[in-house]
Amino acid sequence: MRNVGGARRGLNIWLVQRAGALVMALYLPLFGLYAWALGGAGYEAWHGLFAPLAVKVATLLFFAALLSHAWIGMREIVIDYVHCPRCLGLRLALHFSFAVLYLACLVWAADILWGLAP
Amino acid sequence: MRFSIYRYDPESGAKPHMQDYEIEFDPSGKKVLDALIAIKEQLDESLAFRRSCREGVCGSDGLNINGVNRLACVTALEGLKEPICIRPLPRLAVIRDLIVDMGQFFQHYRAVKPYLVNLEPEPENERLQAPEERAELDGLYECILCGCCTTACPSFWWNPDKFLGPAALLQAYRFIADSRDQATDERLDYLEDPYRLFRCHGIMSCVEVCPKGLNPTAAIGRIKALLVKRAL
Repeated sequence: MRNVGGARRGLNIWLVQRAGALVMALYLPLFGLYAWALGGAGYEAWHGLFAPLAVKVATLLFFAALLSHAWIGMREIVIDYVHCPRCLGLRLALHFSFAVLYLACLVWAADILWGLAP
Repeated sequence: MRFSIYRYDPESGAKPHMQDYEIEFDPSGKKVLDALIAIKEQLDESLAFRRSCREGVCGSDGLNINGVNRLACVTALEGLKEPICIRPLPRLAVIRDLIVDMGQFFQHYRAVKPYLVNLEPEPENERLQAPEERAELDGLYECILCGCCTTACPSFWWNPDKFLGPAALLQAYRFIADSRDQATDERLDYLEDPYRLFRCHGIMSCVEVCPKGLNPTAAIGRIKALLVKRAL
């Protein structure tokens, strides 16, 4: 088979990863400030932090950013290091498995956030 | 002075090995290339290496000296830890001793079309540039294509056939940045795939080793900025 380059998808995926980094860079300090401002320790205080809908949404967005960032990072690792003449199947399997795993994590995060008893 | 030099002779059938040399040589004011020439003249005429201008202009003698890619002709002997370990540039196929096959490197260079593409009729004298437009090319045109940066780049080590490498990408930006060039879109099209440009992870080994003090990572960043600008 011919040795081919790649389709025109470099920019979009790279850009999504930068955007994910931006979301995380915004969320983490803001959430830290928010948690610090509300104060209190223990389960009740922690539970209260996630009561407002806005915090739930922001936290879920944070996880979406984190997991997409991680998935693109795994894709970079596969592209950089998983080389052999016949490992297209292995590359696809790795790529797909991490997509499934991370999507499952995202659904799980949503379940935890919205499952918190009021 | 003591040296440990990579030797490989494809005709002998022997495996590559490091050979030690000891030579009476006053290092003050001298460069690594001077010592290599002395070794070749006095100790071992079979030692093979490339050199031409011997003053950091031609880019022929890029070598891995004590683990760092640099030009033998401008690297001072003083201050180098002995034995001075000299190997060919990493990742490229060795033809003999310190001589590597630069074919892949120049293939990537040619792939970025390193020449002006301008569809206007040729003017009588020359295509003019404002001083500010000319200043855009500073830090880009000085590249001597020695290969030190590209062969120091881990992304090139993993995908040498698909990732263009810092030298070719610096040249790609040199023509994208040129006010007289009219093929910017085609040039950007070529770079917008997962490998050619986007294997760069900003490791910056290229910046660290460039003997001309250039910054390919910055040029790659500018290409990315242009790609984003074009997409949105």
